[in-house]
Amino acid sequence: MTVFPRTAEVADRATNTVPASTSGERPGRTSARTVVLTAVAVVVSVAFVLPAVWILIGSFRPNLEILTSWSPLSWRLVIPSRLTMENYTHLLVDSGFARALLNSFVVCIASVLIGLAMSAMAAYALAVYHFPGRSAVFAVIVISFMVPFEAIAIPLAQQFTTWGLGNTMTGLILPGIGNGLAIFNLRQFFLGIPTSYREAAMLDGASEPRILFSLYVRLSGPALTNSALLIFLGQWTAYLWPLLIVSDNRLQLAPVALAGTFGEHAADYGQNFAGTIVLTMVPAISIFALQRFFGRLSVGSGEK
Amino acid sequence: MASSTVMREPAAVRRRRRHERRHEIFWAVVFLAPAVAALVVLRVVPTIGAVVTSLHKAFPGGIIPATFAGFRNYNSLFTDPNFVSTIVRTLVFNLIINPLQIVLALLIAVLFVQRIPLVGVWRTLVFIPITVPMVGSAIAWGTALNPNGPVNAVIEVLGGKPQPFFTSPHQALASIMILASWVGIGYWMMFLISGLQAIPEELYDAAKTDGAGAVRTFFSITIPLLKRPLLFVLVADTVANFVLFVPVQLLTQGGPQGSTTLLMFDAYRTTYGYGSRNLGAAEVVILTVIMIFFVLLQFRLLREERTPT
Repeated sequence: MTVFPRTAEVADRATNTVPASTSGERPGRTSARTVVLTAVAVVVSVAFVLPAVWILIGSFRPNLEILTSWSPLSWRLVIPSRLTMENYTHLLVDSGFARALLNSFVVCIASVLIGLAMSAMAAYALAVYHFPGRSAVFAVIVISFMVPFEAIAIPLAQQFTTWGLGNTMTGLILPGIGNGLAIFNLRQFFLGIPTSYREAAMLDGASEPRILFSLYVRLSGPALTNSALLIFLGQWTAYLWPLLIVSDNRLQLAPVALAGTFGEHAADYGQNFAGTIVLTMVPAISIFALQRFFGRLSVGSGEK
Repeated sequence: MASSTVMREPAAVRRRRRHERRHEIFWAVVFLAPAVAALVVLRVVPTIGAVVTSLHKAFPGGIIPATFAGFRNYNSLFTDPNFVSTIVRTLVFNLIINPLQIVLALLIAVLFVQRIPLVGVWRTLVFIPITVPMVGSAIAWGTALNPNGPVNAVIEVLGGKPQPFFTSPHQALASIMILASWVGIGYWMMFLISGLQAIPEELYDAAKTDGAGAVRTFFSITIPLLKRPLLFVLVADTVANFVLFVPVQLLTQGGPQGSTTLLMFDAYRTTYGYGSRNLGAAEVVILTVIMIFFVLLQFRLLREERTPT
């Protein structure tokens, strides 16, 4: 299964798979039904998006204006007196958030690369080789990595500190590389690759690592992208772990750095909002840009 | 001669098979080594560490070596009314938030597979909050639900009384549910939309021919055929919400009056705030046991999906 069903495809299919409710009904009743359903859809989606829009607008308005715009309720709540970039410049230049963002990028990219290599190797071994206890090994690996990392973050942080991994990039990267669903997805995808491909490559004298990295990996673009996104998002939004393992501000990651500015200067909503937008844009862009790579969710669909 | 060839052939085949088998096992070990090493370092060692620590007793920050204490830490946790309330609160929180999120996600998913104009746009708007990291959602809602904030301004205009939200022991946990659901509902909705679209259209046509109404169709076709994706998202949602930490740490610190102290935050505070490593480890073990139970369930649902039933 994949974690992000393709919104575009979902949208395309919607019109074809709707229970055909219109046939045999009077046109007047049908359009009344459509009007009501559309009205509900609009109300629901506006309710969901409104807080995000409010944060977005707030991030571009003068900081002092945010607090005064709340009460009493007026159009000032969503219409700023002027637009400004000062929240973003304060955040990125003055408060050191840029550095935290850079740290987050480094940690995410390293985690994705190491995590994908590790997951692809494990998935390959569990998909193509037949050895005793294979399904048990598979279950143990996937289940262990599916237990949310937060649950054992506290003892692991103590362990990492005694190993001298506190306040290090390695310490930040390592826990994010294992993702149960990434391994599960990749193995599932590898199982779908015909064994004749592998046999042909073996007849050509290709070594096992070569078959994995030049054949299987090349054929698995969508599954790899999906796994990469799982690992990336896990690390991008990680909060508890960097909080536990990093005390040096220069090494801190973006979510914890942002939370720090929220606690300290309770009035600097402009910076908080700008930070929220910056932190959101990265997953938003990657999800919407990459969604076409993701196969549809197969849980419940019966497809492979 | 003919018979000797027949005798030799299987021996050769057997030898080749044995060779292939050894080759496969060798590479299986090589390829599994990094994942198994990561598993041992990142999961097994801390879990054993937590179990061992939870069975010992030491003075916070003390130089005196820890002494074996058996189940005394667990005993003192379960006889502490505050901890028992934390467990009950965490269970109640999950019993409310998970079904609530899934039911709302299902209703919205059903709405968004209907024939309505611009359905893709509405869907994307509900999907947008899932891109907001929990820290961002906590900041957004922590600000919006400020007693002097915009939500209260709207309530006042509508003629209601301003609410205390995060500052009231009766509303803080519900406020956390709102900010977590803002992100969660859209996420689970996408799974359910895929599940809904996999239900064969003919079934709906048949129901229509039989004169079944919308509600009847929903309960006798949609729900039974969506059972497995529904169960999966319910379990996956539970796994995620059991370790909910960010809004508690950032907005309420477990308060007011302990009303938002969930197990994950409590384990963190016991270990780092109160410096009780051993009690904190016992809490981690309890949390991990609960998590493993739900993950096993989730894994079963994932696996079942693959084998035709």
